[in-house]
Amino acid sequence: MKKTLLGYIPEESPVYQLHPLTRVMFLLIVSIYPMLVAAPEWNLALTVLILGLLVYAKVRMNTIKNYIPIMGSMGFIILISYTIFGGYEPSYIPIGHLGSLTLYFQPIRWAIVTYMRLIPMIFVVIFFFSTSRERDLIVALRTLRVPFAMTYLVGMGLRSVGMVMEDFQIVREAEKARGFDTRGKSLFYKLRKFIMYIVPLFGLALRRSEEFSNALTARAYTFRGLLNQQKRADYVLSHYHLSFVDYIFIFTLILALITLVILRYHYGLMGVESTVINKLVLQ
Amino acid sequence: MEIVRIEDLRWKYSEAREYTLKGVNLFLEEGKFLGIVGPNGAGKTTLVYTLNGLIPYRYNGIKKGRVFIYGHDTEATPVEKLTSWVGLVFSDPEAQFTSMTVEDELVFGMENIGLDRKEIKARLEWVTELTNTASLLEKPPYELSGGQKQRVAIASVLAMKPKLLIMDEPTSMLDPIGRETIFEVIARLKQEEGITIIAIEHNLELLAAVADDMALLNDGQIIFQAQTREFFNNYDLLIANQIYPPEVTQMAGILRKEGYWPGSLPLNIEQARKQISKSLVRAV
Amino acid sequence: MAAYIDVQNLSYSYPDGTLALRKVNLRVNNGDFLALIGQNGSGKTTLSKCLNGILKPTDGTVLVDGFDTSTASVAEMVRRVGYVFQNPDHQIFNSNVYDEIAYGPRNIGLREAEVKDRVIEATRVVGLKDEHLSVHPFFLPKGLRQRVAIASILALRPKVIIVDEPTTGQDMYQSFEIMNFLTELHEKNGHIIIIVTHDMPIVARYAKRVVVMAMGQIIMDGPTAEVFSHPEELSKSFVKPPQITRLGQSLLTYGFPPNILRVEEMAAVVKEKMVFTP
Repeated sequence: MKKTLLGYIPEESPVYQLHPLTRVMFLLIVSIYPMLVAAPEWNLALTVLILGLLVYAKVRMNTIKNYIPIMGSMGFIILISYTIFGGYEPSYIPIGHLGSLTLYFQPIRWAIVTYMRLIPMIFVVIFFFSTSRERDLIVALRTLRVPFAMTYLVGMGLRSVGMVMEDFQIVREAEKARGFDTRGKSLFYKLRKFIMYIVPLFGLALRRSEEFSNALTARAYTFRGLLNQQKRADYVLSHYHLSFVDYIFIFTLILALITLVILRYHYGLMGVESTVINKLVLQ
Repeated sequence: MEIVRIEDLRWKYSEAREYTLKGVNLFLEEGKFLGIVGPNGAGKTTLVYTLNGLIPYRYNGIKKGRVFIYGHDTEATPVEKLTSWVGLVFSDPEAQFTSMTVEDELVFGMENIGLDRKEIKARLEWVTELTNTASLLEKPPYELSGGQKQRVAIASVLAMKPKLLIMDEPTSMLDPIGRETIFEVIARLKQEEGITIIAIEHNLELLAAVADDMALLNDGQIIFQAQTREFFNNYDLLIANQIYPPEVTQMAGILRKEGYWPGSLPLNIEQARKQISKSLVRAV
Repeated sequence: MAAYIDVQNLSYSYPDGTLALRKVNLRVNNGDFLALIGQNGSGKTTLSKCLNGILKPTDGTVLVDGFDTSTASVAEMVRRVGYVFQNPDHQIFNSNVYDEIAYGPRNIGLREAEVKDRVIEATRVVGLKDEHLSVHPFFLPKGLRQRVAIASILALRPKVIIVDEPTTGQDMYQSFEIMNFLTELHEKNGHIIIIVTHDMPIVARYAKRVVVMAMGQIIMDGPTAEVFSHPEELSKSFVKPPQITRLGQSLLTYGFPPNILRVEEMAAVVKEKMVFTP
């Protein structure tokens, strides 16, 4: 098992064959697809495809269920904001009543379209973070010749998130050990008390940052650049090579993107007017 | 050849009321292993910060007196140059990790001093063999045990091939076995690589077994510096400065006070056992 | 006699699936001064956190003074078992020492007059001075921050005090100071003390009873002298008796006992044997 940013996946997962850059390209390009496509059925198809890839990559599927509540509440918020707060236009077609409230077809359709755009995007992000390690992200960035200091900050950011989460856990335990009890208290009370957690986290971060910058100096690192102005060796990149499969993969992703643009804007396919929902409801 | 010379060094952090170092004099020859002991707050960490340039470059304060590394005054030498001579391992390995895999951690310093990929690869092999970390290369630091973390921290500094390796309480967070693995690494470094080492350590049982020289720092001054055996023979002076020698040394120290211990004080179980059994055999 | 803390078939696994404790049984009694030892990752910290309900059992039960930790309220627990974390910086929330120590008593709903009494008492017991009370704890040196952490637990007046790694990062003299202070609490005020530590000389000198853990289980449990006289057994948890005990064990053939715990004891034994020197 290898630890990825979102969990563990087995050593023998076929995703490791791909260059980290390919995985980052997958994240960046595939998350554009749903923005081009309005018809929900196509985005549903894309979601199914990504789920298939998750299975293929041997990601533990029971971790996916952790995200279902978020997806559910997002759907609810989108539905409310399009219907109740969606306003009214004369072209709207009424389809029913909910008490004194009249329901119109177009806002509900837009809610579904928007929601079905978000779902594949979420799964693309889940796919990337459950198949990649922090190191993969950095390797990809360096392959793209992003300056070292920037990739380094990304890495440090990710690392400090882990440390803060760990501290947060201990701080919560320490609060509890001092009789702090949120059971049966209001949400407002909990939020107000949340500040309490922040104080020690800041204190710890302050102390750490001093140690950390000392450690950087001790390892001869200066943000001004290298000691003797030579090019950085980027040793980690010597482990990775873009293979033929990677080129094919990236090429396919870009080709699909171009095809989508042409289909959508030249032939007008996969738009909101051509969705099956229209056909079902309007007939 | 001398590697460190400190002359009447005084240092006051700008936010502090009193001087932390109050006139330190110290001399260290290349290839030697110096152990520094002293109660908390004596200025031990501050002292080693003056050797790799953290003081005065990263901290504000008042500095008097001079520190020389290979005859170069640290105040007139760029910090990058000092850090390539002097490697410093901090007491909390967690705080000095800057990467998400052990390999990146080891490579980081080597890239900073501008080594090429071939040299990095060669040194990786050398340093992981020496510190027994080869099997850890792929792991993220938070999956390591305390002893492994500290070995990685030492390896990451060692990979830059410093002339002088300083370790600030390298075993304070470890369990007894973790401690022993660190001292095994230190013993190998001394024997096989001949690196000059300074170690600050509260655990004198392990330190006494490997150090050539010992220095006692208290209240900002070096009270006493001597060869290890002679150092621990001054039992009363150490106790007076709140330093507790290895337990077998303490025992012999108590006995000597009452006139029961002939000869010098033992530093380890083996020496103590021999001295005790010899006198018991004579008794029979 | 009923145990004050009764751990029965306790198992604990972390959310990521790691099984940290497997079917542990332990009885902590009145009058115990107990050291929990074992290698890093042996489960000793997890066990100690289960003793006051910070962690709830995955399986089995932990009874404290008759209360089941998995159903008892936080307030009921903290009045009985106090837990001092290793790094005081994890538990300092307030902007001055007084409020920091008063935090626990206020949480369990005491009146302000009572809170004040307890703060004053706890401050006195740990040896903090009055002028420290108005200081921001962040700016105190580490040794004093640790005392603030202990005082903030003492103010809850728990019967049991658990201290995680009390001597890490302290020099020997400071370690002795902290341990003498815990001994005083134990002897004068009748607290049950549990320390979780790697420091064997400290265990040998201060603990009355030692519980050794390995792989999430208790492998040894007994009086300190008894536990340390079985070095081969201890090595299963990668623990070694203190140096002075090992010296005694290397001299068994000369009739030295295998369970010497303190330097002074060893000196006395050697002296006694050498008395016959002509």
